[in-house]
Order: sequence, then structure tokens, then C-alpha cells
Amino acid sequence: MGIQLVMYLETIIVSGLPRSGTSMMMQMLEAGGIELLTDGVRGADEDNIRGYYELEAVKHTRADSSWLHKSAGKAVKVIHILLPDLPVNRRYRVILMRRSFEGILASQAAMLERSGREGSSLPPDRLAKALERQMHNTRSFLEDHSSFEFIEVEYEEVIADPVGQAEQINQFLGGGLDVQSMAAVVDPSLCRH
Amino acid sequence: MFASIKVKIDKALYYRLANVAKIGGYSSTDELITHILEKEISRFDEAEDDAEVRKQLRGLGYIE
Repeated sequence: MGIQLVMYLETIIVSGLPRSGTSMMMQMLEAGGIELLTDGVRGADEDNIRGYYELEAVKHTRADSSWLHKSAGKAVKVIHILLPDLPVNRRYRVILMRRSFEGILASQAAMLERSGREGSSLPPDRLAKALERQMHNTRSFLEDHSSFEFIEVEYEEVIADPVGQAEQINQFLGGGLDVQSMAAVVDPSLCRH
Repeated sequence: MFASIKVKIDKALYYRLANVAKIGGYSSTDELITHILEKEISRFDEAEDDAEVRKQLRGLGYIE
């Protein structure tokens, strides 16, 4: 199936745990030629200097999924815990981001500290185990529902080999993306968090 | 050898558990009961951890 057909039929979902590289993947898809579904409500800040690429309506999908009506062929960010809220009478291609739990937790802790907001009170090792279990459940959910086709992408591998990973994503989406432009937006200097 | 304490349970329930332990291949009724209790506690822990993850995601601004 070529990208043109995917664009007519399916919604492209970028998912994963927060701080696993989902914003970077959204930038890559945009550079590759995919239109993004975002609203710019959450603007760029020190934690995501290029922006979050989010759509607020995604948070309320369980109550109102009407934002999906115009989502075919576009990419939208949906964090792992909200994937089961998506109606299963549609087709989705999911890019599931993975990153070391150590990197994710360090990044989340830095973000919470900067914002002054309260996070979990669990010790880091127990929080990591809980996140690992949730990712396992997320994978099982995607495998169990035929509405979803998914690929797992390692954040660290994108940093190490942007062109190779961009090509894999291009293949997954049916081809036709600008792989070099996708790879060019990967900036290892942004990976400090 | 680990320290243990005694817990009272209904006798009829104990015999049902003993029967299940035998059928299920457990080495003793105590082993089955320990297994059931550990499984239940683990479910409780997971629910508690999931609530903490939601708190973390709320703090990060990803859910409301």
C-alpha cells in the first residue's frame, strides 16, 4: 500500500510514554511530508524547544472522538495510556516510540522540577516497573486489535541512525516520504533530556 | 525457613482449598493460599501503581 492510499484511509498515530521521543517523531513525519493534527495550545518551552505537537482534543477522546473525522492520512500524538480510548471501527498505523526507562524517568523528573508540578511519589525503580508493565499492556492491546498496525521505534536508534530509522518508518507507511528531510530534523543535541 | 503467623479461615473454605491444592498440583494447601494471596496483593499493587502513573502523567500535562 503506498503512502497515498494510507493517507486516504488511515490515521497515523505517534504513541509511547511521555518523553520517549514522540515530539521528535512528529517533527520527522512533518519533514517527510505528512500533515500533522496539532492545535498549538501547548507551546514550545525549555523541555520541548520545538514544541509538543499535541492536540488537546485527544485527551477527551473517550467522550468525544469527533476530531478523528478529519484525521485520515494525518499524524497525531496519542500517549500510550490513551490508545484504548480510540474507537476500533477505524484503521490506524501506530509508531510506538521506545526509550530506556532511565532516560524517560530522568527527562520526566527534569520536566516536573522545571514546571513545579507534582508527579508520582513512587520510588524510581517501582515507577519504571509500572511503566514497563503499561508498555507491555499497550503492545498486547495493539496486537489484539486488528484496527491497529504498529511498528516499534527505539529513540536511541533514531539518534544513532536517523536515515536508517526514517527509511523503516517510510516503508511502514507505504513509501513516498522524504527520508533525508526526516533524518535531518533529528538533532542529537536536543537529547540531553 | 521463614517466619510465619497463623490466620483463621472458615473450615469449609479450607477443605475446598485443600481439594483445589491437590488437583492443582500444589505441594500443600498453605502453598496455594500463599499463591492466591500474593496474586491478589499484586493486583492491588498494580492498581496503586497505575494511579501513581496517572498522577505522573497529569503532572507532566499529558492527561487531565
